[in-house]
Amino acid sequence: MKKILAVAKWEYLEKVKTKAFIISLIITPIIIIIFSVLPSLLFRQEAPKVELIGVIDTSGVYFNDLVKEMDNYKLENEQKNYLLINFSFDNKNFEELLITANKNIEKNLIEGCLILYHAGNDSVSAEYRSKSLGNFKNVERLEEAIRSIKLKMKLEREGVDTRLISYFKERVVVKQTQVDEEGKVSEGDFITTFFISIIFILLLMMMVVYTGQMLVRSMIEEKSSRLIEMLISSITPDELLTGKIIGLSLLGLTQIFIWSVIGISLVAGAIIPLAAFNNIVPMLFYFILGFLFYSSLFVGIGSTVNTEQEAQQITTYLSLILMLPIVMAIPAIQNPDFIVTKIFSYIPLTIPTVMILRLNIGNVSELEIFLTFAILIFSIFIVTKLSAKIFRIGILSYGNKPTLKEIFKWIKE
Amino acid sequence: MLIVNNLVKKFNTTLAVNNISLKVRPGKIFGLLGPNGAGKTTTIRTILNIIKPTSGEIIFDGNPITYEYYNIIGYLPEERGLYKRSKVIDVLIYFGVLKNLNVRDAINFADYWLKKLNILEYRDKRIEQLSKGNQQKIQLIAAIIHNPSLLILDEPFTGFDPINQQEVKDLILSFVSEGKTIILSTHQMELAEKLCEDILLIDNGSAVTSGNLTDIKKNFGGNNIRVGLAGRLISQNQFPEIVKIDNYNNYSDIQLRDEIVPSEFLKKLIGKIEVNHFSIIEPTLNKIFIDLIKKNSNNI
Repeated sequence: MKKILAVAKWEYLEKVKTKAFIISLIITPIIIIIFSVLPSLLFRQEAPKVELIGVIDTSGVYFNDLVKEMDNYKLENEQKNYLLINFSFDNKNFEELLITANKNIEKNLIEGCLILYHAGNDSVSAEYRSKSLGNFKNVERLEEAIRSIKLKMKLEREGVDTRLISYFKERVVVKQTQVDEEGKVSEGDFITTFFISIIFILLLMMMVVYTGQMLVRSMIEEKSSRLIEMLISSITPDELLTGKIIGLSLLGLTQIFIWSVIGISLVAGAIIPLAAFNNIVPMLFYFILGFLFYSSLFVGIGSTVNTEQEAQQITTYLSLILMLPIVMAIPAIQNPDFIVTKIFSYIPLTIPTVMILRLNIGNVSELEIFLTFAILIFSIFIVTKLSAKIFRIGILSYGNKPTLKEIFKWIKE
Repeated sequence: MLIVNNLVKKFNTTLAVNNISLKVRPGKIFGLLGPNGAGKTTTIRTILNIIKPTSGEIIFDGNPITYEYYNIIGYLPEERGLYKRSKVIDVLIYFGVLKNLNVRDAINFADYWLKKLNILEYRDKRIEQLSKGNQQKIQLIAAIIHNPSLLILDEPFTGFDPINQQEVKDLILSFVSEGKTIILSTHQMELAEKLCEDILLIDNGSAVTSGNLTDIKKNFGGNNIRVGLAGRLISQNQFPEIVKIDNYNNYSDIQLRDEIVPSEFLKKLIGKIEVNHFSIIEPTLNKIFIDLIKKNSNNI
């Protein structure tokens, strides 16, 4: 036991002092801040400038009403958000108008141009031209305006009372709220919660990759210098492995601790809303268990590796697996019961990250949390056992990278 | 005393060590010799309890090896290297503690050896700041810091300049006088010849010869002479007494048939050629090594 602690202490102290660790400690929070603060900056604030939008409406029916509708959107300083310009000059044909509009967009004179086809008929269609396709907000607002005008015109034509028309036109806004396990209803800030889980996943991934690389690098050093032989003529491979895992976990906990301090100060500074940390307890558990799982995996795999390049390959693959939830995020959000997401939340390699994601997008039952914890703890146990077997032989095998078949044989031995 | 009886180690189908026995007496240096890939490292690893033998037993001071054994064994592996970015004293403490020393003792012993090997000034430097020779000294200290009773040294002299080699040799000899059990594995036959009393020569996993070095030399066939010849060289077919002749610049080494008396041969030689040097020589360990290994590989 004394020797295990000596190994743990050595692994911890020697790695805590390394540049790689200190850099990861700093870089990661910077990434957190970028990820947590930027989206709230980008998504919440209206663009503070007045946007010029050209309109080509050859029928001339829509333009005035469009101006009225779009005037409803105001900037914070009560200025109009949109200034609509009529591009339908009488002396030009439709093609020429389009060319003028394109030129204006190209020269950044206008933000974009709305082109209405068949205006005046029931089947009006529209096109919005701009430099970027990503401006969902403008398009959504224009769509809303056109629909509303179209409705109004039709109703007027049918001779409906103007008061009724304004009743129909009134928009219904759906407010999003979230029900938690205790049945309480809270106003969810979806984007923040979503980004928090992405941040957690990224943190976990970076931590696993950083510490994993550090671990593998030091094992390569020990192997290539045959230091490993001096070590295991002093201590059993199992003790060495245990010591290494403990040291590594302490390293991880240090990182989590320091990041928590940063996180708390961000919350205190009201940069991240507290509501985003609703699920912090299970999230932290998944985080720590996930880290333990990957650490024990790395110790086993790391012992088979002889060069930096091989180590890099392995860490790349593992980080791709950890990234999986980010790929799955969109389908998982649209449908929290998506079967693929469910399957991945029971595979040990993806439990930590997928569950962190799911915790924040939909309610996960307590049974599921319990089951996944159990699976994760059980697989940590199994992986440690397997890693120990691989480790015992791996640390003494030099030269070529062992094939999967050979590793399998080691496990069976 | 370390006794290894009928040690066999198989890796899958390959037989790395085939039925090797050896006996290392305390206060003596035992030479474990053999060409590359002969099975020396595997033998050492089984003795160190790093790998389990397929069969055979290893007994130290009357007891089979156990967990406690780790704390009385010291091992210097052939390839050298240490935690490059760590401080000298930290590394030494780490290895000391792994050998069950407490931190204070580890520091004391580390300082003692650093001083003895004249490298105390590097105590708080990082390993990578040291010269290669000094790094090796650190590794040697790491292997002996816990005052082991069984010491296994694999090529302890490579990479040292003559002065450091002498220091290391003195250090090993001081352990001998303390009655420690020492196994020396090396390719440097001259050194093995000077230091080892008993040897085991292995090739392809099997023992080629073993026992007391003096006996081995005697049994090897000792009718060897060295002659210095002025002028031309002689050839084997001029003299039926000669079994083998190796000509060098200044002298020739000649192996005579066993029944030939060297002085009789000298008389005959003087009659024909001018001789300016004559001596009877024992076969060197180097020669025994080369001849036996060659013979062994021809037999296979």
